[in-house]
Amino acid sequence: MPEFLAILTSLAWPFAITAAWLAGEFGQRWTGLPRISFYGLVGFVLAAPQLGVLPRPETGSALLLADVGFGLILFELGYRINLRWLRTNPWIGVTGLVEAGLTFVGVYFVANAFGTPLIDRLMLASLSMATSPATVVRVINEQKSSGQVTERALHLCALNCVLAVFAFNAAVGLWIFRTSEDVGDALWNSLVVLGVSAFTGAVFGLVVPGIVRLLGKLAQDATVAFALAVILLVAITYTLGLSPVVAALAFGLAARHRRVAFSQAQRNFGALGELLTVVLFVFAASTLDWRRVWAGAALAVALVLVRLLAKTAGVTAFAHLAGISWRKGALTGVALTPLSVFVILLIEHARHAGVAVVEELRAVAAVTMLLEVFGPIILQRALVGAREAPESNHAA
Amino acid sequence: MPLEPFATSKPLTFGVELELQLVSLSDFDLTPASPDLMHLLKRKPFPGNVTPEITESMIEINSSVQTGYGALLAELLDIRATLVAAGDVLNIGIAGGGTHPFQHWSEQRISAKPRYQELSALYGYLAKQFTVFGQHVHIGCASGDDALFLLHALSRYIPHFIALSASSPFVQGHDSGFDSARLNSVSAFPLSGRAPFTLSWDDFSNVYFAKMERTRIIKSMKDFYWDLRPKPEYGTIELRVCDTPLTVERAAALAAYLQALCRHLLERTEAAPLEDDYLVYNYNRFQASRFGLDGVITHPKTYAQIPLRDDILATLALIEPHALALGSRDALPHLGAAAVEGGDAAFLRGQYERQGSAEGMVDAAIRRFRGR
Repeated sequence: MPEFLAILTSLAWPFAITAAWLAGEFGQRWTGLPRISFYGLVGFVLAAPQLGVLPRPETGSALLLADVGFGLILFELGYRINLRWLRTNPWIGVTGLVEAGLTFVGVYFVANAFGTPLIDRLMLASLSMATSPATVVRVINEQKSSGQVTERALHLCALNCVLAVFAFNAAVGLWIFRTSEDVGDALWNSLVVLGVSAFTGAVFGLVVPGIVRLLGKLAQDATVAFALAVILLVAITYTLGLSPVVAALAFGLAARHRRVAFSQAQRNFGALGELLTVVLFVFAASTLDWRRVWAGAALAVALVLVRLLAKTAGVTAFAHLAGISWRKGALTGVALTPLSVFVILLIEHARHAGVAVVEELRAVAAVTMLLEVFGPIILQRALVGAREAPESNHAA
Repeated sequence: MPLEPFATSKPLTFGVELELQLVSLSDFDLTPASPDLMHLLKRKPFPGNVTPEITESMIEINSSVQTGYGALLAELLDIRATLVAAGDVLNIGIAGGGTHPFQHWSEQRISAKPRYQELSALYGYLAKQFTVFGQHVHIGCASGDDALFLLHALSRYIPHFIALSASSPFVQGHDSGFDSARLNSVSAFPLSGRAPFTLSWDDFSNVYFAKMERTRIIKSMKDFYWDLRPKPEYGTIELRVCDTPLTVERAAALAAYLQALCRHLLERTEAAPLEDDYLVYNYNRFQASRFGLDGVITHPKTYAQIPLRDDILATLALIEPHALALGSRDALPHLGAAAVEGGDAAFLRGQYERQGSAEGMVDAAIRRFRGR
């Protein structure tokens, strides 16, 4: 019998991924909703605390695989960011700081009203600032959307993720030091991690394009070379305790500004990217426990609402100054709703680093579950509402 | 509805229309940014005029009616500065060039305007494949008869304008071997080509146009996609063979060239145009779009084989007094240099080699349009 169980366990992931993929394909055709919403649902249902098909997340290399999948997406996000734009249109940067700041403050006070302890409040508020790059990049590619809402969602997402990583690491630092006198140390440590991660990514961004260029034949070789480099980079940051998020983002940014071509066929890193995305979203949802989801439901709904409000208000306020209509401004704010995968990976990393407090962030499970399913849908509706996604791609 | 009478305009006044590419600065592909760009541009008065086009990754700008090259160039530079500033706010690259080198026609989004939706339904993939970018130049004419005279007298010079503006060597990711591959997309339309031969406006309007209208294939002059067509409501003829050059400077110089050439032709010192001139027309047009300045054309009267570059340089010398009289002399050295050193198509091919990719080439085109 034990052998049989072992066989079943080793089948669990391939089975889950296949089931999720099928659900995504059929679900997308029948409902027109984004595939990744279905991946999340399947992952959640099959997870250990629910149907128990999947093993507990600690037992396996799924986290590393998910990290690689996430790394590829972040690289792509970084590759689509135009730093020069932040200079030619400074209101983009202002918008990013304000919407993230408003979100932090809003979430902090709502959590306070629910009687959440200080350190939890800080962590919740930090995490809430972010928009999940995985969802944003996937849905935008799936919808083939383009326009100002798309472009701004991508740029603001990159910006608020970096802010969130910084604030979250600082909050974790505070928890480790235990006393609030160490705020300065915590901030400094977080800044150092951020800096070293970005530097590592940037070095990759300078070296890899150089090697690719030596090989010649850019169009064919670039995808594999970049994918391998991302895997390597994620492994390195994993080992050194750096932030894979910031490193992969910096890698993409540096590679882009080195201007090595990356032809359109390689969006999503082709089949490899598709596959790892399924793993990523199934994994993220499989870390959730329905009991926690249920326990944090009330706070979660409040958090999701205040976050939506803060982001929409923050982006809309500067819409006119930043050169778009009020309507597109509001839709950009709404498009920043997705959160889940980013938060889950950050928390998993903190857990691995021995930060036990994240176990107690009860509301997080519920927030991520809500947004794992609804985040992509809200984003998709925002893009369609802005007429940036061609009609045929969302029709049922 | 019969063709409207030919409005009189001041002879040899001119104006330029340019179709421009809207490019994503993430992947350098075309991006359907015209609604956002139009929204932003509406906030301030625009020098000249700007309108959306059939696909949302294209906009068209046009100058006012001008009399001289200096004022035209100044206005186009002003338009460019406004566009570039708006592009900077929205993270959109704006570029000239007759084709986008690797856009895929099936990805293009057709504008919401009903006329464009109808055209798309009628022409199918031709409409989307028509994501090409041209320069049109209008020349004012005193009468319909003058317009038709100029239109046919210019037929011999059409290859000059093709070769000097050619900026579309790449199509769907590959070097087409043509300097102006764009013209091939235009030729696919059933009502493209050249106008019927008549030198009398009365004849054109009451016989040819009236007949065509009775066939119900066409409703207005707009349905003809000729290389050169009369525009009775403006009182102009419109040259439509040029690719949008990579710079507005080249666009202004081409317009000045046409203006001076028309002044020369109106003196009627050259042999009068004939239907037989068109025997060599399509082949000359092909030579210019395929080989650009290296093409060889056949003279319609003597049947002599003339290298296109030599013919252009000789014509530039010939029309110099007219350019001088029109205040457009400064445009000629610009074109002379282009004829000798190679035009935009050669520049793009060079960039493809240097940058190692089509994306790099688009980036170079964007920088060239900006003027630095």
